[in-house]
Amino acid sequence: MPGILSRVNVAAKKKIFAVQEYVSLSLASLRFIFARPFYAQDVVQQMDAIGVKSLGIVVLTGFFTGMVLALQSSVQLKTFGASQYVGSLVSASMIRELGPVLAGLMVAGRVGSGIAAELGSMKVTEQIDALNTLGTDPIKKLVTPRVLAALIMLPVLTVVSDVVGIIGGNVIAAAYVGIPTEAYFRTVWEQIASGGFTLRYIPNDFIQGLVKPFIFGGIISTVACYYGLATTGGTEGVGLSTTRTVVAASVSILISDYFLTQIMLSVLGT
Amino acid sequence: MSEDRREAEGGRRLRDAGEAERREQAVRDAIRRELSSDEPADRPRAEDPGPAPGAVIEMEHISLSFDRPILDDISFLARAGETVVIVGESGTGKSTILKLLLRLLSPDDGRVYIDGQDIAPLSYAEALRVRQKMGMVFQGAALFDSMSVFENVAYPLREHTDLSDDEIEARVREKLQFVDLAPDEVVDKLPSALSGGMRKRVGIARGMASNPRIMLYDEPTSGLDPLTTGVITRLIIKLQRELGVTSVVVSHDIRSAFRMASHIALLYERTITFFGTPEEMAASDDPYIRDFLGGL
Repeated sequence: MPGILSRVNVAAKKKIFAVQEYVSLSLASLRFIFARPFYAQDVVQQMDAIGVKSLGIVVLTGFFTGMVLALQSSVQLKTFGASQYVGSLVSASMIRELGPVLAGLMVAGRVGSGIAAELGSMKVTEQIDALNTLGTDPIKKLVTPRVLAALIMLPVLTVVSDVVGIIGGNVIAAAYVGIPTEAYFRTVWEQIASGGFTLRYIPNDFIQGLVKPFIFGGIISTVACYYGLATTGGTEGVGLSTTRTVVAASVSILISDYFLTQIMLSVLGT
Repeated sequence: MSEDRREAEGGRRLRDAGEAERREQAVRDAIRRELSSDEPADRPRAEDPGPAPGAVIEMEHISLSFDRPILDDISFLARAGETVVIVGESGTGKSTILKLLLRLLSPDDGRVYIDGQDIAPLSYAEALRVRQKMGMVFQGAALFDSMSVFENVAYPLREHTDLSDDEIEARVREKLQFVDLAPDEVVDKLPSALSGGMRKRVGIARGMASNPRIMLYDEPTSGLDPLTTGVITRLIIKLQRELGVTSVVVSHDIRSAFRMASHIALLYERTITFFGTPEEMAASDDPYIRDFLGGL
C-alpha cells in the first residue's frame, strides 16, 4: 500500500510541476511580446506558417461544414414548415461555434504538431542549448513569435471559415431547398442582429466568435511550445511530443469552448 | 538553493523510471530551474579565495548532484592560451562540466571563474552576457536547421553586434576560410546538405564568429572518420596557436587529446584523478591511467 501511495504522490507532484512549468512558460512568452529585442521577422514568418499556409484546409473544412449544416437543417426545418430559416441556423452555428472550433482543431492538427516537432527536434539536437549559449533566450526567440502569430492569425482564419461556411450554406440552400440568395443572406443578417449589439454597432455574435479563436490560438501555440521544449529521448521523443500536443490542444479547445460559451452568454446576454 | 528547497525537489523525482532517463530528467529540470529564475543563486558561500592569478577558466571544488552525485570536488584551471582536455569514460559527467562553465547549470558547491569573474551568482540575463565571451562547439554541431550556413555563422554577430551587413559578410567568409571551407560553396547551403565533418567545421566557425577568447568543445571528434578527426584536431590546435584562444575540450578520444592538450584532466568516479601534461600522463604508472591509455 505505501508503495502505491508514494507512487501516486510522485505522479501527482510531477503533474503539478508540469502545470507550473506550462504556466510559467506561457506567462514568459506573453511578457516578452513587449520586451526588447523584438524578433519581428520571426513573427512575420510564423504568421505565414500558421495563418497563410492554413488557409486551404480552413476554407475546405469551413465550406463543407456550411453545406452539411444547410442540408441537415433544411430537413429538420421542413417538418416545421420553417425552411426559410436555414440561413439563420447556418450563421448562428458557424459564427458562434463551428467557425472558431473547426479553425482551432484544424490549426491544432496542422500547426500545433508542426511547432512541437520543430522545437522538439531542436531540443534533442541541442539547438536550444546552442541558442542559450549564443546569448539568446529561446523563449523570446522561438516561443513568443509563435504565440503572437497564433493569437493574431486564429481570429483571421475563423472569419475566413465563417464566411466560407455561410457561402457553402447558401449554395445548398439555393440548390436543394430553393431559397433565393437574397433571402438567405437576409436571414443570416437577422440572426446576427438578433444576438444584440455591444457599443451599438458590434454584434455580440462577432465578439463571441472572435474571442474564442483568440483564446484557442493561445492554447495551441503555448501547448505546442511547451511539449516541444520538454522533449527528451531523441527522435522517438519528438513523435511523442507531437501526439501529446495534438491531443492536449484539441481536448483543451473543446473543453474551454464550453466554458467560454457559458461565460460569454452570461456577459453578453442571450 | 536552500536546503529546504533541495529537500522538496528530491520528493518529486521519479523512482521507477530507468536510471538514465531519470538522470536526464534531473539535469533537464535543473537547467530549467536555472533558466526560469531571474533571481541570483542565493546560497551560503564560504569566504572567497578569488581566482588563481592568470587563470582564464577556473573551477574550484565544484560539486553537483541530482538524484545521485554527478561531480565531486572538481578543481582545474586553464591559463590564457592553454587547452585543457577533459577525458574519461562515457557517462561520467564530462559534458556537465561544460554546462557548468556556460552556466546552463549552477553547482551545489564551489566556484566557477570565467575571466576572474565568479559566474555562479549571476542572474539569467547576466549569464546570457557572460556566455558571449565563450564559443561553444556542440557534439552534433547543433546548427540551426532552418538557417543557411551563412545565417548560422552570422547569428552571434547579428544578435550581439552592430556590424554592418558588409562587415558581417566579410567576417563570416573569414571564419569559414579559417575552418578550411570554401565560402562560395557552402554559404547558401542548409546544414542538412552538409557532411558530418563539414557541419562540425561550420559549428566551429559559428562558435568563433564573435572572436571569443574562450572556446569550449563537446566531443569534437566523436562520430567522425579518422581523417576528419585529424582535420578537426588540427583546427583546434590552430585556434590555440594562431589566435591564442583558451579552450576546454571534453573528449573520450585520447589520441587527439594527446595532440592538442596543454593539460589533460582525467575524470574518474565523479572527480578528477589526474591533472597534468600529456607527457606526465604517459609517464604515469597508475593502473587506471595505464588501462585508459591501453588503447593508444
